[in-house]
Amino acid sequence: MDFAGARGVSRRSFLEGLSSVGGSALLMAGMSALGFGIASAQTTPPNLSGGGGKKVVVLGAGVAGMTAAYELSKGGYEVTILEARSFAGGRCQTARKGFKLTELGGETQECDFDDGLYINHGPWRIPYHHQSTLHYTKEFNIPLEVFVNDNDHSFVMYDNGKGPLAGKPVRKGQIAADVRGGAAEILAKSVKQGALDKAMTADDREQLIAYLVHEGYLTNDLAYLGTEGRGYDIEPGPGVNPGPGKLTTPYAFTDVLNSGAWRTLASVSAYEQQKTMFQPVGGMDRIAKGFEGAVGHLIRYSTQVKTLKQNDKGVEVSFVDGDGKAGTLKADYCICTIPLSVLRQMDIQASKAFKEAIGGVSYALVGKIGLQMKRRFWEEDHHIYGGHVYFDDPEILTMTLPSTGFQGKKGVLLGYYQFGAQAAKVSALSPLERQALAGRAGDKVFEGYSSNIETSFSAAWHRIEHNLGGWAQWSDEGRASAYPVLCEPDGRLYLAGEHLSYLTGWQAGGIESAWQQIAKLHARVHAA
Amino acid sequence: MMRLRLVSAAILLVGLGNFTQAAAADGKRLFLENCAACHRPNGVGVVGAFPALANSKVVQGDAKVPITRVLNGRGGMPAFQGELNDAEIATVLTYVRSAWGNKAKPVISQQVAALRTGGKRENAKASLQAH
Repeated sequence: MDFAGARGVSRRSFLEGLSSVGGSALLMAGMSALGFGIASAQTTPPNLSGGGGKKVVVLGAGVAGMTAAYELSKGGYEVTILEARSFAGGRCQTARKGFKLTELGGETQECDFDDGLYINHGPWRIPYHHQSTLHYTKEFNIPLEVFVNDNDHSFVMYDNGKGPLAGKPVRKGQIAADVRGGAAEILAKSVKQGALDKAMTADDREQLIAYLVHEGYLTNDLAYLGTEGRGYDIEPGPGVNPGPGKLTTPYAFTDVLNSGAWRTLASVSAYEQQKTMFQPVGGMDRIAKGFEGAVGHLIRYSTQVKTLKQNDKGVEVSFVDGDGKAGTLKADYCICTIPLSVLRQMDIQASKAFKEAIGGVSYALVGKIGLQMKRRFWEEDHHIYGGHVYFDDPEILTMTLPSTGFQGKKGVLLGYYQFGAQAAKVSALSPLERQALAGRAGDKVFEGYSSNIETSFSAAWHRIEHNLGGWAQWSDEGRASAYPVLCEPDGRLYLAGEHLSYLTGWQAGGIESAWQQIAKLHARVHAA
Repeated sequence: MMRLRLVSAAILLVGLGNFTQAAAADGKRLFLENCAACHRPNGVGVVGAFPALANSKVVQGDAKVPITRVLNGRGGMPAFQGELNDAEIATVLTYVRSAWGNKAKPVISQQVAALRTGGKRENAKASLQAH
């Protein structure tokens, strides 16, 4: 790479140059890229004023629906939300004592965790760049705490690997140190021996070796012999015993390679998994409650939408309310946040192309289980405070240790987080069988895991009424054909939700989709 | 791996037209594992959520339609293209097309292979985690 061309050009003169060739749009983009901090359109809600009492019916009191209702009513619109459930939040749920769930075809579970313990069986973390979600946690004064999304001291468990490290829990940080150290050693020695003499200048080779020594903790003769960062067999301490302690010995490079455990590592996390990650203190449903505090008076709960009709004058929604009584509601516009997996089975009046597009997406099968543990053995015995245990059993994938209640007596951890066919398989099991499955897997990682399980709560989102899936999964083809159709209104019907974003499965996708759609609606009202 | 080999062996044994008890057992097992959580073990589905497969015209019609649906998903149904191989999809569909009073021709893995587009689905096995 050669950045010499940018040298000697001040930021200001560079920006002026951009402006002269590309106009102000290019100037703005350049300023944003250079860190002047011009907010993208998605970090704050659209400013709607002058709604003039136009009536909007919002279908669904999830995060997207409540976002739309909140901003529209602030802008002078008259909003009613119809919600099928008896509570607001949509998938933004938290299971704690008394929370009930009956999956379709399943038995009723009533969560019986101890007071103060919970599992976020829906959304559970907020990356730092989801500024839209963070906009509302700030607006509604919802306290956040850090969600430990990466923990070097946690375990990686690769049952399907080869060699002596396969099938046993190994510390993630030790795998990282050894695979990077081993790779750095080989590369550094190759460079030193002249393998890249033709490809690089002498200067670059020297710098590369310096980098590899730094990256891999190599010795002066370019050997990786371990590093104190991978930890101690005997921790250092006072006096002469333990005194300096005793360092751990690195695993053999070939064993690390064969284990496959390095698959959990990458030089940079995927964007959605990067630190800093947050969670609301007390459970994700604090976000639902925050919205509900602002728009709860607009919500008609336990009201199931049956049909939607529309013409060039307005929309009419028919529903059955909590008492089983049928009713209708008329409005100027409709914002529908019902998941497409559910909407496709409803009687809505829309163009043929629009309806076909609704059927053009599939939904993720997702399963999670919260296990209440008698004691926090992961902290007490293994010194792991939050983070994930990565497990290559596709029915488990992730065990996640709680990022809250550290050093408490008990805790609820996530026992599995599986998708697709595995989620289908596990969801065919009863809640107790799911608990047993999670327990058997946990016993491979932590001694005494299953014997510590007191109770559990599990959710299979594809079997949950009103959702029928964890999130929308667009194929490339669907993104190209159906998705753009659904992003535009059909008559007076606007769709919104995570399914109409490229942040599928994230609350930020629902919020930003709602922002985009209400901005369109508002522009139309004002143009009329 | 063992399981996949068993299924392939079953397909080889039965040839193109005959559907043997061995394959039927595999088909039932695949159905119970992958499909029954939603479509129910007896194929009756859940009204308003999961379509019935028993007595279904779609299931018993042109095999291309159910094959495509299993491969690519539709609406609330996930895509199984990354989860099941051609032989497994043929086996489970052959079971579904002959169970609970359904009467339609078996499906062979070549029919599945011909419809497999190889389209990439977002998030599919992209990483250990999502969301």
